[in-house]
Amino acid sequence: MGEKKWSEVRPSEDYRRILRPDGTLQDKAPKVSRKELLRWYQVFVETRTFEEIAVRLQRRGVLSVAAVSRGEEAVGLGAAAALKAGDWCFPSYRQNSTLLYWNAPIDRAMAGLMGNSPEHIREQLPMTADQLPKVTFMPYAVFLGANIPLAVGSAMADKLAGRDSISLAFIGEGSTSEGDFHDGLSFAGVFDSPLVVIIQNNQWCISMPASKQTAAETFAQKAVAHGIPHERIDGNDVFAVYDTVKKAADRARKGHGATVIEAVTYRMLDHNTADSSAVYRTEDEAEYWQTLDPFDRFEKYLLAEKIIDSSTRETLAADAEIWLREAIDRGRAVPPTEPSAMFESHLHGEPGWSERHQRAELAAELAGQNPFVDYTGEDLQ
Amino acid sequence: MSAAIDKGQTEELNLVTAINQTLRQELARDPQVRVMGYDIGPIGGVFRATDGLYDDFGDQQVIDTPLTENGLIGAAVGMAMRGERPVVEMQFLGFMYNAWGQFIYSLANLHQKTGGLVNVPVTIRTTFGGGIKPLPFHSESTEAYLMHTPGIRVVCPSTPYEAKGLLAAAIRCDDPVIFMEHTKLYRAFREQVPTADYTLPLDKCRLVKPGKELTLIAWGNMVHVSQQAVDELDYDVEIIDLRAIAPIDVEPLLDSVKKTGRCLIVHEARRTAGPGAELSALISEYAMEWLKAPIKRVTAFDVFFPDNQVEDVYLPGPDRVKAGIEAVMNYQF
Repeated sequence: MGEKKWSEVRPSEDYRRILRPDGTLQDKAPKVSRKELLRWYQVFVETRTFEEIAVRLQRRGVLSVAAVSRGEEAVGLGAAAALKAGDWCFPSYRQNSTLLYWNAPIDRAMAGLMGNSPEHIREQLPMTADQLPKVTFMPYAVFLGANIPLAVGSAMADKLAGRDSISLAFIGEGSTSEGDFHDGLSFAGVFDSPLVVIIQNNQWCISMPASKQTAAETFAQKAVAHGIPHERIDGNDVFAVYDTVKKAADRARKGHGATVIEAVTYRMLDHNTADSSAVYRTEDEAEYWQTLDPFDRFEKYLLAEKIIDSSTRETLAADAEIWLREAIDRGRAVPPTEPSAMFESHLHGEPGWSERHQRAELAAELAGQNPFVDYTGEDLQ
Repeated sequence: MSAAIDKGQTEELNLVTAINQTLRQELARDPQVRVMGYDIGPIGGVFRATDGLYDDFGDQQVIDTPLTENGLIGAAVGMAMRGERPVVEMQFLGFMYNAWGQFIYSLANLHQKTGGLVNVPVTIRTTFGGGIKPLPFHSESTEAYLMHTPGIRVVCPSTPYEAKGLLAAAIRCDDPVIFMEHTKLYRAFREQVPTADYTLPLDKCRLVKPGKELTLIAWGNMVHVSQQAVDELDYDVEIIDLRAIAPIDVEPLLDSVKKTGRCLIVHEARRTAGPGAELSALISEYAMEWLKAPIKRVTAFDVFFPDNQVEDVYLPGPDRVKAGIEAVMNYQF
């Protein structure tokens, strides 16, 4: 093997940065009120608190799996703050900060993480229309690349209808290797769709390093082939994220089309609770990224600006622990989904013959009968 | 099985002109109907199904797109969940394999995944079937791949009248519908079709011809091939156009087999795990004691669609259907 390709070395810090790792400004801070900055800090704290609780619940067997975003929170948070009511967001599983910023219902989320059906959750934890988040969050397809064509269609619909709302999609650097990414961007470029795509480059796609995903110099430059403007930013700098996404969103709202933003960050913990990253990555890598922690630098900045003091973190964490626990307990208190719910929400209208029979078979099986002895199945109902 | 409606004023249309007229009427009826795909604009579709629509409805309603089937389905679903009603032209069913991701993850799954909150009123018009000697992957009959997927409807018209009513119903339906248009039927024949718009049910099979001795189930061009075979024999065969490929309208099929005691399934799809396998299984499970002979499947073979020189031999023709009918009618236990 010859010389290492660029992508086999540490990711370049040649990107847009406003807030340095030491908490000082490298560039002009975006115009954000002190109250709003305090809100960002609160969401940071809430995100870490929520994820710590989720991991504990997984270890106790309450959740089968939990994925956390430690080290990447600034990406979801800065992007969330750049959205407006009426926008649509297509997250993956590492944007808890985005969800918390827009007050997504944690009780419902917990009931969902525990494996309940959406219909059942809505029934058990009712909400009025004005209690729902003002940004619409779409569920992700686990196959994360699938977000992109959907978000493009959503953006196309906004443009066709003359709305000034936009669609924001998150994708990991690994999923930019999927055809879906390029399929969607082909459309977004041609139709000037009001769309922002954030490539949350956390360096690892489960065990696959970014260098195994592309030989291109950056992930952002994949947008070049689609004629879409792109930016590469320090994803651990919430100011850079906010400011860049805000400008992209404003462009989109004005009818100037899509933007792709690569936010360079790092997955500090395992892929999820079923993963063991010690098998495939080294400690010195983690030490390097620890110096770039997005929370620490934002905290230093806020302390210096006297927006928070040395006790704020503890106070906010204690508050978060209380309300998150209450919400999580409400979610956990949802009685298990009835098995027949699996048949719901497939097609509109009266159930067809096969669905009627299969529902009846399941009911008979659950009632301790032999579901197959009656050839018609009809009187099992 | 549904009865024909009062036809009122009619005109003579072939299948592709019936499709064109329906698209025109639906585009005019609902401004959120968006016909989209590649080669559907000024050229009017490779089979001219969208002929003239771009000129009359403009590029906001008739949208020529980049050449990515996966992007096409994904974008259509994204539009649909925001209130639009896309009608996608998937040029050939054999091109849809490229779109399997968005077909499953988005088109079929989104309504269920959102617990019914998000509707996906997307119609995907696609051509299928052999007989016109085109290029590879232009003649696929792989509806079995589709019918194995929950959350979608699959329908297949066999006449111009059926095409018009089923397509209007598909476009107005809040479920994703795959609409299978047989290329050989596009210009095969004309019939009187009502000029006014109308719909036909998406979940019902159609009685083509009543009979007492054998139930023959077919769809698309195989309805016509079967009809010819039946005409050339002296048996009282009941022909049923399956029409709804998914979900299947099971009850009339069972009722018919219980009446005739015999069943022949005719399809262009390959045999193994083809649609006939499911139909045959349903009938054996639920009508076994009425059967006077084993259920027989007259199908294409388990090979890739062959070269044009042997296409006619690969596809089931009237002779193979007649052989199937004879085999079932003369079977002795």
